[in-house]
Order: sequence, then C-alpha cells, then structure tokens
Amino acid sequence: MSVIEYDVIVIGAGVAGLTAGSWLSGQGLKVALVTTGEPTACLSTGCIDVCAQNEDPLQGIAHLPAEHPFHLVSNATIHQALNDFQQIMTDMGMSYTGGLGKNRRILSAIGTFKTTCLTPSTMQTSPQNENEKIHIITFTGLKDFYPGYIISRFPNASFSIYNAGVPTTMGIAANFEDDTFLEAFILWLEKQNIREDKIAFPAVLGLESAMSVKERIEHRLERPIFEIPTIPPSMPGRRLFNGLKDHFRRKGGVIYWGWPVAGVEKTGRQIEAVIAESRGRPNSLNARAFILATGSFVGGGLWAKRDTIMEKVFNLPVFVPGGQEVWFDQDYFSVNHGIGETGIAVDSSFRPKGCPWDNIFVCGAILAHTEALKNGCGHGFAIATAQAAAQCCLEHIR
Amino acid sequence: MIKTDVIIIGGGATGCGIARDLALRGIPHCLIEKGDFAAGATGACHGLLHSGGRYAVSDQVAAKECYDENMIMRRIGEKCVEPTGGLFVRLPGDSKIFRERFLRSCEEIGIPTEILSSTKALELVPNLNPDIEEAIKVPDCSIDPFRLCMLNMRTSELKGGLSFTRHKVTEIVQSHGRCIGVKALDAATGDEKEIHGNIIVNASGAWTNLIAKLAGCEVPLTLSKGSLVITNHRLTDMVINRLRPSSDGDIIVPNEAVCLAGTTSLAVEDPDKITIQPAEVDTIIGEAGRMIPHFNNTRVIRAFSGVRPLLKSQKLDSREISRGFQIIDHQNGMYSIVGGKLTTFRLMAEKMVDTIMNAFNLKRACETAEKPLDGQEELSGYPLSKRLADMKDIVCECELVTRKHVERIIAQTGTRHVGDISHRTRLGMGPCQGGFCTFRALGVMHDMNILTAEQSVQSLREFLQRRFRGIRYALWGDQLREEQLVEYIYLGILAMEKNK
Amino acid sequence: MKYEHCIRCTICVENCPVFRVNPEFPGPKQAGPDAQRFRNGREKSAEEWVLLCSQCKRCEMACPCGVEPAQIILRAQQRYGLEHPHTAAHLLFANNYYLSTLGSITAPLANRFAATKIGKKIFRRMGIATYIPFPKFSFKTLRGEKKARSREARKVAFFYGCFINFYRPDIGRKIIRMLQSFKIDVVLPPQWCCGLPALGNGNTALARSFARKNVASLSNYIDAGYDVVYTCTSCGLCLLHDYQGILEIPEAKKIAENSFDLYEYVLKLITEREIKPNFREVNRVLAYHIPCHLRALKIGYPAADVIKLIPGLQCRILDDACCGLNGSYGFKKINEATAVQLGRRAVSLIQKTGAEAIVADCGSCRMQLSGLSGMDAFDPVEIICESLGIKGKK
Repeated sequence: MSVIEYDVIVIGAGVAGLTAGSWLSGQGLKVALVTTGEPTACLSTGCIDVCAQNEDPLQGIAHLPAEHPFHLVSNATIHQALNDFQQIMTDMGMSYTGGLGKNRRILSAIGTFKTTCLTPSTMQTSPQNENEKIHIITFTGLKDFYPGYIISRFPNASFSIYNAGVPTTMGIAANFEDDTFLEAFILWLEKQNIREDKIAFPAVLGLESAMSVKERIEHRLERPIFEIPTIPPSMPGRRLFNGLKDHFRRKGGVIYWGWPVAGVEKTGRQIEAVIAESRGRPNSLNARAFILATGSFVGGGLWAKRDTIMEKVFNLPVFVPGGQEVWFDQDYFSVNHGIGETGIAVDSSFRPKGCPWDNIFVCGAILAHTEALKNGCGHGFAIATAQAAAQCCLEHIR
Repeated sequence: MIKTDVIIIGGGATGCGIARDLALRGIPHCLIEKGDFAAGATGACHGLLHSGGRYAVSDQVAAKECYDENMIMRRIGEKCVEPTGGLFVRLPGDSKIFRERFLRSCEEIGIPTEILSSTKALELVPNLNPDIEEAIKVPDCSIDPFRLCMLNMRTSELKGGLSFTRHKVTEIVQSHGRCIGVKALDAATGDEKEIHGNIIVNASGAWTNLIAKLAGCEVPLTLSKGSLVITNHRLTDMVINRLRPSSDGDIIVPNEAVCLAGTTSLAVEDPDKITIQPAEVDTIIGEAGRMIPHFNNTRVIRAFSGVRPLLKSQKLDSREISRGFQIIDHQNGMYSIVGGKLTTFRLMAEKMVDTIMNAFNLKRACETAEKPLDGQEELSGYPLSKRLADMKDIVCECELVTRKHVERIIAQTGTRHVGDISHRTRLGMGPCQGGFCTFRALGVMHDMNILTAEQSVQSLREFLQRRFRGIRYALWGDQLREEQLVEYIYLGILAMEKNK
Repeated sequence: MKYEHCIRCTICVENCPVFRVNPEFPGPKQAGPDAQRFRNGREKSAEEWVLLCSQCKRCEMACPCGVEPAQIILRAQQRYGLEHPHTAAHLLFANNYYLSTLGSITAPLANRFAATKIGKKIFRRMGIATYIPFPKFSFKTLRGEKKARSREARKVAFFYGCFINFYRPDIGRKIIRMLQSFKIDVVLPPQWCCGLPALGNGNTALARSFARKNVASLSNYIDAGYDVVYTCTSCGLCLLHDYQGILEIPEAKKIAENSFDLYEYVLKLITEREIKPNFREVNRVLAYHIPCHLRALKIGYPAADVIKLIPGLQCRILDDACCGLNGSYGFKKINEATAVQLGRRAVSLIQKTGAEAIVADCGSCRMQLSGLSGMDAFDPVEIICESLGIKGKK
C-alpha cells in the first residue's frame, strides 16, 4: 500500500472543499484534496447565494433559526471569506459583482427572478424587472434553452436565432473560445439591428474566456449584455469550479480525482489516514487533520437508506429530524420538508458533535440544519463555513 | 350543444374500448373523461395481459376469458403487446397442493403451461431467486396501459368519434325520466359543454357510483386501493408471478425499460383521495425480493396507488370478489359497466356495445377482435434498435423521446399539459421522472407559441406537484439523490417559488 | 448495475471532449446509462455512434456517482464490433502489433512510403487520417536491446509497449539507463502488444489472446521477485483495468497489484529514500500535458512530482483538455475532424502558458500536440535524464 503524507486532507472538491483547501494551502500547509468525482457546483448557476430571506443577506442570516450553522461563523469571517472569494475569482479572470450589503436578482431561464448575492460579471446587467427591454439570442437546436418562457413574461422582449454549428451548451461554449467564430457571430449580431437596451444569452459565452467574450460583444454592440443560467450542463457552474480548482493548484494544492474514500485509519482520538483505491492498490493518505466537505445528497456526502441517513466516509452520526414520514411534506413546494435539516451537526469549532475524534472538521452543504433551498443559502454558506472550519483546523494543527 | 348517439363517460380501458367498438360499427359517439385517458385504475395497473393463470384456481370463468382475450390482443396489437411470457415461481414452502390445482385448472381451461426446472427457469430469467423449486411457464404479456387507450381512441378518431379530456361531467340531463345528455365542465377554459345523445354509458370505473348518482341511480361498489412500485431498469424479461393464492406483492411485470411490481389491496372510500403508504412499499419490495432478490437493493423510481372498482359484495377480502364484470341497465337510457380487468377490456366493450345494438335494434357485428389496432406504427419501440434511428434532438433523454414526437403530440392533442405528453410518449417516466424534460417539453410549447406566461407557470407547478405524489414514497438511495438534483434545478436554477 | 447510480447530473457530459465538438456523438450519459436501459442484449446492435467514444475515461473521472459510463460504452462497442464488419482502418489498427513488426523490419522503405503523396492517398482511401505524420518505424526495436546483467537488490521487468518498441526505442533506452543508474536491474520480459488497440478497434478476441500471453509472461517475473514497470499510460490502464475487467483474464489481479507506472515507481523510491538522485539544473519552461489515461490510472501525476524536484525547471500542469488523438482513434478518418479540433484547443491552452516545449507521458499525446503545434514534445524521462546527465547510448 502506498502511503502519501500531507498536513491536511480535504475530502470533497466542491466550493467548500476548495475554499478550505486553498486557504490552508495559502497558510503554508501541504494540502491534498481527494474526491470521487466533480462537485455539484459544476451544475449550479455559478451565483453565490448567501441568504435570500431578506434584502440584506446579513440581516437574513441574523434571523435564521438558532441551530443554523451560519451562526457559528462571525460576521467578520463571512465578510473576509466572501471578499477573498471575489479576489480569487478576479485573479482567475472570472470576476464577480455584488457585495454582502445587498442581495440582487438575476433573470432565470423560465423568466422568473432568482435572488442571490454575488453574480459572475457575465450576469452583472441581468434585468431587475419584467419591463426592461431585452433581446434574447438563442442558438439553433439548443434544447436546453427556450426564449419563449421569458418572452411570454416580458412585454418588451424579442429574440433571434443563430446557427452555431453545434446544438449543445458545451459545444457552443467551446465555439465561443474561437476568435473566428466570435467575430462572425458579432458581425451577424450587428446586422440584426437590435433595438432593445440589453441583449440576453443562455450561458454559453465561452468556457474560460466568458468575461472577455462578454466585453467584446458589449463593446461592439454598444450596450450591456448578460447571460442567463441554463439547466445542466451549466457553463457558469463549470467556470466557478475551474476557477477555484486552478486557484487551489496555484497555491500548491494537489487533487486526487476518482479516489472514493474506502476506509479510515484511526488511533485513539486521531484519524491517521483515509484509504482510497487506485487501479491496482489501495493508497493511504495520511494527514494531521481532515476536512469533510462532501456535500448533501447530490454531492454524495449523505446517503439515505429506507429509513436512516448515513455519512459514508467517517460514519459520523447524522442528525435526522425524524422517521421517513417527516422527511417530506405532501406539497412539493412546501418549505417544511424535513430532509432539509439533515446533516452533520457541529460544535463551535466545526467539529462534528458526538464524534470520537479531534482532528476532523466539517463544512459546506453536509452540515445539519441548513435547509439550503428554504433559506437561499448556497455557495455563500459553503464559502463562509469552509473559511471558518479551515481556521479552526489551522488552530488545531498549530 | 353537441349531438351524438352514444355518450361514454370515462376514458379508461373500458371506455376507450367501447369507443373503438362503436367506431368500427359505425355509431357516432362522444367520450368524456375528467382527467387524461387512463386516469383511473387503467393507468395505475401493472399493464399485465393475463394468460388467465392468476384466476385459474379461484375463478375459472374469468381465467378462460383472460386467456381468450390474451390471444386476441396478441393478434390485434402485434406491435404494442410485448409477448414476454410469464412464470409462476414456486418458492420453498409454497403449497404443492395449490400447484396441483393450478396445473389441473389450467389444463381444464385450456391455458398452455410448461413446467420448468429451476435451472431452466434461471436460464430464462437469470435474476430469479436461485432457491426456487420450479416455475410454470404461461403465455402472459405486457402492454403500456396508456398506449392501449391511445390506440383504441385512434380508431375512434379515424372514424369521426369525438372525445373530450379534462372535462368533468357535472350533470346528467334528463327529460321525461330518460337520460338525454350530459353537461361537462372544461377544466382549461371553465366553459360548460352540453352533449346530447340517445344512450349514456357510464364507464367511469371507481367513480361509477358518483356518476350514477347524477342520474338518480346507485351502483354500489367496493373500492380497493392497489399500489405499485416501479424500478429503474428491467430486472426480468418475463412476467413473474408467485405460485400461490393471490396475495400482496406477487406480480412483477416488465414494461419497456422498467419493471412494475405490486400490488396491495386496501379498502378505501374516496377514489380521489388515495396515497400510497410506506408499509405498502415495504411489502411490495419484500415480496418481490423473494422472487427476484435483486429487488431488495434495486433502484426504485416511483411508488403510487390506484383504485380498483369492484362490484360490492359481502365478502371481506376484496381480492376474493370476482373480477368478472357486469352491465347494469338503469332503465333510463343509461348503462353502467362495472368490474373487469385490463385484460378483458375488449370483451367488456363488446358486450356493452352488443347491448347498445340491441337497444337500437341494429345488427352490426363486432370487429374489434379481428381488426388490428390503429396507430401502432407511430409507437416508439423497445429495445434501443426499435426505438430510435439516431440519438439526435432528444427531449427526454431518460426515455429517449424526440422533439419531433413531442411536437406531433402537442399538435394532435392541443394539450398544455406535460402529463398528456408523458402518457403518450413516456416522456418523464424514466429515472429523473421529468426532471429535465418537463422544462424542455414546456419550452417546446413556447416555441410553438401556444402558451401564455400564466399557463406556463401553472403547467409547470401542476406537473411538479402531481409528479411528487408518485415519487414521494420512493425517495431513498440513488433516487433521493436524483430528486435533490431536480429540486436544485426547479427551485434553485429556475427559481420557482416555494410557498411562503 | 453501475448505471443504476446515474442521477443524470450531466457532469460527464460537461467533461466529454468528443461530445463538445462532434454532434454525431450523443455524449457519455446518453451513450452510457441512458441507452443501457434500452439494451436487452438480444437485439442486433444498431448503434454505430457508439464507436465515436474515444475511451478517454474523462467521464469516469468526473462522475460523482461511480457510474463508469466509458465502461458501459466499451461493452456496447465490443458488441457492435462482434456484429458488424470492420472497416479497413479498424482492421489495421487492431493488428497494429503485427503491422508494426512488419513496418519496423522494412523501416526505411515503410517510413518513406508513408510520407509520400501516394502513400497518404492510400491511407486516406483505407479510412486513415493523415493530418499529422505517421510515426516513423525504427528498424532497431527495443526488444533486441542487449544489456549487461547485474545483481542489484531491486529488479524490474520493463513492459515497454508498442510505441516505444517500434517508434521510439531511444526513449526506452533512456528509461533503462535511468533505472540502472538507480541501481535497479532491468529485464525485458517476453511481451506482446498490451491489447488495447485490438480492444479499441472491435477485436476483443485478439486483445484477449495478447492479454493471456502477457499475463503468463509477467506472472513468471512477478513470482521471481520482479516489479513490473510500464511507461505508456494506455498500456498501464489496459494491464491494470481491462485485463481484470472486460477481458476477464484469470491472474490479472496479480499483474495489477504488482505493476507500476515508471514515475510512480521512481517517486516511491525517492520518497522512501531508497534513491537520492542528484538533479542538476535544467532551465526550461515546460507545459506538462496530462494524458487522459494517466488521470484514469488514479495514481496522481507522479512524473510531475518527480520533475518538480529539478531545479530551474518551470512546469505548468494542464489537465483540462484531451489532445484528441487517443491512440488510433484520431488516426481514423471518421474521427479526424474531432481529433483536429480537440488537438487545436489543447495546443492553444499550451501556447497560452508561454512554455517553450511540451512534456507528456503518452506517446500518442506527444505526436498529436507536436504535430499540430510544431513545438517539441518530450517524455518526462528525457527531461529527467537531461537533469541527471544520462545519455541514451551506452
């Protein structure tokens, strides 16, 4: 069995895991991240939801129920974590607009408005109400986007269709990376004599160069343009993930892809290592501390059996609000689905409650009492708790 | 006001079968259904076309009917009936006496059986419990019940028959003590339609008594809830039955890419208020797992209930009540046809239409057993080679439904309901249960310029709400993971509103 | 039943390089778990589009649910191959081992012919793409290499693979010299093509026959205390994964447990302090293109970790793009457009780093990236040998 040593091992490559890992790497520690696959962030809108309960996200947080883990993070840490995030993404060439002072809205693909806090700059000029004059561009054969949804709600909207040569989100985004394609597209766009104030696109304006593609189109068409997040595959989600991943690497972090953790080695109150299988042999990843950021059910952090819920890496006790009957309401749109409360409950140092080890810290969507969809706390929550957990982790090591 | 000869209330297999029979005999008719076709028991059943084996011991008449109808359906529905064959498996501990009676009864009735050793049975169905003692092969088949209704209605449509779905009958118009028509409420517009005819056929299944009451009549029914669990993939290519007196959970039916397992039997009062219980899910999985052990760990994508309308009887266990059917002449121009099962729908329709012919004093023979079902060529097939020529332009990726197909259905039916598309194409019936394709299907409607903003939101909300009823009790393991993703899509990415 | 775990998240689709550029390929989700529900094993396979999957395995590395779409597609490819006639290109590449043997015997002629207009025209007629030059056969293969035996503590049986044997035996020699400089005894066991070209071109039976012979031969060496070391990441993947998997060779597990990627092996020796290489300065700015199959081996990027120890070397790791060649995949004309588009993107990402040269463990990647960019492409061992002052010749 091969043994590889690090200071900290982060399990989970999502927003929380990468944030914690990058921060600890930046503090001079040797950090490795191990993951089964790519995270839920790749499917997200790319927007950073902090708390949608109130116009002022911090006010919203203050009014969350007492057990909500957001209360374990000081306002100062929340500020710092989100500022760091914005700085990182700007460095990676995908800047984010917005701030903790106020939530903002972006237009969704069905013509509703999503409340969020920070948005990629490609969504910066997203309309704030249905009366804005927008022109929507869609692409031949693109089955994941339908301007009709928005047109039916916006009295001052119209649309055009461009043939990008490929009918898929990924394919069109790859084409936008090509200068020749972009130039031909802009020429076509100019010929459309668009009268509306803003131009809307499904989020396909490139893989990593979206910002410069956006700026170029805005410059030539002399008006703001914005992206609308699509159902998966999601480019803005992908860009967010790539940005955080590349940043983690730049800080010296190492990522092990396709390494589901199959076992844990422990001695006394310390976890010594996690065991992962590669193609032929098991590998032991040893570290002084571990951060669990494996996500909720989609991410793979929590797993439901018929009537219990488990956490499969360390077998930590999972808070469950009751038996199967309370996991879901009968009403799909209810805010009270019990399942939103499930997860790992932690103490003020982000260590799991009721757990026999000292050197494990938990952050992100796997935390209990989060009720992510009800409270509108998504990536922002992951970033903030990751920062806080990483700080506690560092303290433990030092 | 619409005038016709025969008004049919109820768009299940019986109602649709009657429409087809009337069409082939040249009788103008109008079918009214308060939901979409197959909204009642028809849409909530296994889709099993019995060989008759299940009734061989308990009800020989019913068994013979099933067998004969099974043979007819294979002939007229060559492209839509899957001749899976069936096995009655005997597990250790199952009564050998029953086995003897079963074989004897089948022989008496004329149902061909073949006794297979467990080795042979496992060759045919590798997923079977290796502990089975033996299996008896019978000629069971499977069919998609929605499709069955669609194909029957195709004939009606081709011959000029009328049908109105999402129309609820609110009144039976009477004149001089005779039923002369109905008033029905159009759910889409709120308008009322009035349809007059010479005869009304009440084929409304579990709602028979409620409809009969509108005409001042009574049809006492026992309503029995039955539940089904649907798996993500086909664990068996043959129908699997348990060789014992009918009990809970002893049928597994393959249908296209999934398996349906069930069922249960619990008395209920109100056909509009039924939901599956976790205990039923446990029972079904447990029993199915005894025949196919894989069931205990397999991914379940849907779990829901339907209501069986049975003629009221003093017998307590509703399973014991005959599945035979009855035609009730209310002596006022209205008939009710009750009971029966999916397999014998055509026979029920034939008898009903024969009765109507007598009432009109007409002599036209029934052709439904001879003529192949119309519209079979338009169906998408199974497996992959029969389903799609290429993988382009697919709207529902789980069930491989193309955009062209969806557009055709929307154009043909004028529907604004994703559920209607689901029933006719299987869109949204796969593992993600409409997670992605609902958005796309409504998007296609927008492209076709037939939806307003309100209709769009309403349609989406309604579909998601209905869908949830069928999956709420099947959420664990991979399916819960799937569902959280779908939740992120609709409530996160698409920012649909939660209730405040 | 791994396809049961698919939650349709489309993360695999986001990662599939072929899907992005070729609208004929429905993507790993549709070709894998979606279609699998409709495959009943009894109908003749009509899914020609299944052959468009390059088996880069990026979908598998990205899938958060353990679905392994590439494996599902591989079986569908195998099925299609059994039921349909093979094109000339498929036949040629499946038998690459034999044809390369012939090619190397007639090397000067064969190479000249392959470079002529007529030669290229004939290749195109057979369905072979010619957008980059065909690799040149070496008359002197590695197999014939004679070297001195020695009595070292560590012994390695070197599985060199067809690329090194027929096209770049010089790299093979450098590897041997390097290992010998670490006081490791290197032996060249009797070996055949690993079988991946045959498997990837629809001839599972041929792949299996190669696999059995290789397993028998390597097994002897393992029993005699040798570690097996491979350097081609695709050979490695085949040995460690496909031998136990789709090819179902008994004893394959033993091979998998005792086979190491060259750099994984060297890195292990360095971290366990068994060897202390004296790396001298090498002032180069390199772009390290991570081969898709290296990611699929799940051993991290050991060569990158080794060359990180070389002073003066600047190395940027690029693991986001597939080069597009995928062994024989890009050399088939039906995939030419795909391979070129993917290659161009990989090259453009490399050029953005400002590196002066490319380094990649996989010969196929090197051919593609070098052919499309004009830049030099090195195997990591070449950089290591440069740093250690090891020349290829004796």
